[in-house]
Amino acid sequence: METDWDEIARVGFPPPGIHAMPTPASTLAFDNSQELLWAGNEYGRVSSFYGPELQKYTSFRAHASVEGPVRQLLFNDKGVISVASRSIHMSSRRGLTMWHITHDKMIDLRCMSYTSKGTSEILVAGCQPTMFRVDVDKGKIVEELPAADQYTMMKRAHYICAATKTGAVDMLDHYSFKVVKKWQAHAGYINDMDARNNFLVTCGVSPRQQQAYMLDPLANVFDLKKLAPLPPIPFHAGAAFVRMHPRMSTTSIVASQTGQLQVVDLMNPNTVNLRQANISSFLMALEMAPSGEALALTDGDCFLHLWGSRSKIHFAELSSPTELADPVVPLQPLDWSIDTPLHSIGLPYYRDTLLSSWPSHLVFEVGNPPSKLDPDILATMTASGYAPNPKKTRRYQVHDTRLAEKISAPLMAPKFLSEKARESPSSPR
Amino acid sequence: FNGLTSKFVAAYDNSLHFSDHLTSELNRELENARILRLMMKLNFINERPEFEHDRQWSETGDRYYLKLFRDYVFHQVDAQGNPAVDLAHVLACLNKLDAGIDEKISLISRDEQNCFIVSYKELKRGVEAAFQDLLKAGRRG
Repeated sequence: METDWDEIARVGFPPPGIHAMPTPASTLAFDNSQELLWAGNEYGRVSSFYGPELQKYTSFRAHASVEGPVRQLLFNDKGVISVASRSIHMSSRRGLTMWHITHDKMIDLRCMSYTSKGTSEILVAGCQPTMFRVDVDKGKIVEELPAADQYTMMKRAHYICAATKTGAVDMLDHYSFKVVKKWQAHAGYINDMDARNNFLVTCGVSPRQQQAYMLDPLANVFDLKKLAPLPPIPFHAGAAFVRMHPRMSTTSIVASQTGQLQVVDLMNPNTVNLRQANISSFLMALEMAPSGEALALTDGDCFLHLWGSRSKIHFAELSSPTELADPVVPLQPLDWSIDTPLHSIGLPYYRDTLLSSWPSHLVFEVGNPPSKLDPDILATMTASGYAPNPKKTRRYQVHDTRLAEKISAPLMAPKFLSEKARESPSSPR
Repeated sequence: FNGLTSKFVAAYDNSLHFSDHLTSELNRELENARILRLMMKLNFINERPEFEHDRQWSETGDRYYLKLFRDYVFHQVDAQGNPAVDLAHVLACLNKLDAGIDEKISLISRDEQNCFIVSYKELKRGVEAAFQDLLKAGRRG
């Protein structure tokens, strides 16, 4: 982190309702192709913030609020994928739903990762016995896999590194999803981890006396190439969060819960660069932009902080322009008298079939007699015109009134006298 | 015969005026049917009670924005929160929807929590797909 880095924006994370108390963001992620910072809240809503001023961009409900917090976000060129406990959702960046998957075996999903197939397939897992392989383009579950353990976090590097509930990290193969190596990183559970290139860094907690859990004063490091642990990074304030620098392959940023940031080289852990984030409560999450030029923090007071250098800050390595709403051209005031024709506002230039074009095969009968009122309604109607609904048909069910007329008055051929006599039971034989 | 000429010219003039009048009337009312058909399609799909529990129309569904578009067109308010009844706005929106142009608008839900950016092209496609679903369901029944 260069010396000119500073907090350059701070915005309140929007509360879940107009009059509701704000809640902290449950997950944070930088977009990898646009200048957007994404955050999920505790009620399944995903919001995005544009540019270094963190302007509100889009916000949409990705999961039902009963499912709890949004756990993780992933990006591809078409949109953003989010996961909550019982569903996986994909939306375009502009907020339109592309697909939404729910399944009986989705009980407590926590994390996901891209697999060997680039960004067209994800592996979704959680604190449950099943994992899912999902085709991102089609939005379909491809395969259900038994999970070797209960996973809370996933990062893709040389292997898919999956943190278990019990403080270990499983290195999963990209193709077969078999556990290649299990590494017990911490004694309690893993609070945060990051994997990039050949390194995996974890921050975790260990149980101390009286069942209390405390953050370990070290961040553990693992070499993914040799599958062997490396010397840990000492961090006395208690390492809570860690991110690897995307450009400088051996640099990582470790943060404590109180907002102390330490930039450290994994190969040379003694040269450190310390900074203090200006927060008054606990740090809740830390995220680094794919460009390495911005850092986002969220705290217990529900603020999002953006760090970077004022002159150079940008999020994505190659950012494509973000699609904003077009400015509305003000219309000329028109005098809407009864004589003003409706074509005063013209149709824009077009090539395709108009939406108003009506299919020609639809033919409807007109001029039917009105349907008869049910005699029950007429019998129970009060003077003011109210009557209980007898509920014999559906609400606004179509009646074929022509058919009804035909049945009620069939034309009978006149009968001979002899026929009439035969039908009449009283007639003497 | 000489006395008739002036009457003849006047009658001819009147008939020309009449045909002009008819043409201009036709010109004025020509668009109405198109807008009516569009409104009918929109009203067929919006707020159907059987859609109330349909996942596609829920907040996480892929047709939720069609609901919001109805609000955008017809439920505009001014700065004081009074309803803005602006025929020009409605007509402009409907015409853009009819043509399905690339212009993007920002749709906001009633609780101001959801915010989408949608193009008229996507809206047009969504309305047409929803309407075709209705036709299909009707044929089956």
